[in-house]
Amino acid sequence: MSELIIPYLLTVVFVSFVINLVIALYGIFARPTLVKKIIALTIFSDSLNSLAIFVGYRVVSGRVPAPPVVVNYTSPQGPAQLAKVTVDPLPQALVLTAIVIGLAVTLFMVKVTMQVHRIYGTTSVRKLERIEHGNKGEEDEGVVE
Amino acid sequence: MKVTDLVVAASIVALALLLSYAMFLGGIGPVPVRSELRTLALNYILLTYNPAKIIYSALAPEGVTAIVWDYRGLDTYFETAVMFLAIISVVALTHGCKVRIGLGKGGMSLIVKTTTRILMPLIVLAGVSITMHGWLTPGGGFQGGATIAVATVLALVTYSIDTLAKHGIRKKILLAMRSTGLIGIALTAVALLIIGLAVGVNAYIFQNQERMGSPLAFPAYFSGTPTGGSLLFYNLFEAFAVSAGLSLAIIVTSLREEEVKETLRGEGVE
Repeated sequence: MSELIIPYLLTVVFVSFVINLVIALYGIFARPTLVKKIIALTIFSDSLNSLAIFVGYRVVSGRVPAPPVVVNYTSPQGPAQLAKVTVDPLPQALVLTAIVIGLAVTLFMVKVTMQVHRIYGTTSVRKLERIEHGNKGEEDEGVVE
Repeated sequence: MKVTDLVVAASIVALALLLSYAMFLGGIGPVPVRSELRTLALNYILLTYNPAKIIYSALAPEGVTAIVWDYRGLDTYFETAVMFLAIISVVALTHGCKVRIGLGKGGMSLIVKTTTRILMPLIVLAGVSITMHGWLTPGGGFQGGATIAVATVLALVTYSIDTLAKHGIRKKILLAMRSTGLIGIALTAVALLIIGLAVGVNAYIFQNQERMGSPLAFPAYFSGTPTGGSLLFYNLFEAFAVSAGLSLAIIVTSLREEEVKETLRGEGVE
């Protein structure tokens, strides 16, 4: 039974990651507000990070997979025992740095958005574009892009 | 809601459904249900702590930290540099802004302040513990540093930016701490190279243990416990750099409107 259920559940997880990515892309491209773009971008990067962790996942029969830590390092068989039950350490190492850099870059984007709001009084890219072209925004609706 | 929005939303839903359906049928490759490790992962697991094959080993039981700071150390160094640049940019955006003492309203209520005062040392302790076990258990410099930065955020929200400045958590000090961390990482990366040049043997950048053609190595044990050689130093300096850098970026981001607008007006921007 479990050999049917586990692939099904993993497929559900994988599909939901992809749907999450698509929704985040919608937020980045279609929402006019910079704040919402940043939120969507963090959702996008978090989904991608989770997807990377998922790619490193592995089904171990009869137990939960172990983290890639050689607990029994005093015995020479320790690493070989671990290799039977552990998950892939490489995606975790890549995601680890991506998260910290993502945090720093998000802070930078938030800071830029705050400055934009201070100077122009709006964070909507459509209004910003109109300010850029010297139009005072007489046609508020209908003029998009 | 405009027609364009509806069209965009509908097309995105259609794309998600199509992708899911294609995946369900196996259209874009099989969903990764693995029961075996990849060869690369197997090599990392078998070699991360392996005194018998020391020229391939990092002598650290924790695989992820070994990959981050030994096998792919140069990658991580430049990734840290990207973080450095992002934080430098945040600081540069508020260049000239000064924290003016006396503007704050004094922070939150006494209950919150007391709780924060109890919690903050515990958070810092947890961060240090995560850092100092980075080569033995899951954790390391990044995670420990980010945990320590949480304490600053908590203090910033509960008290005020004034209180932080009074207690010495200022921009210049945090910048100096962060730079110290990065210089420490750079020095650790070239330490064996410098020793090798002085002694007259081969050595490599980001060398941790003995490698092919180079007998130099960082001490791998401290009173019988593995230290991962250079991983100890990398984790320490990284925690330093990350905690100071993130605290700095958060403090600069939460400068008060009066202070920032003053600077903006001073530079002739409306």
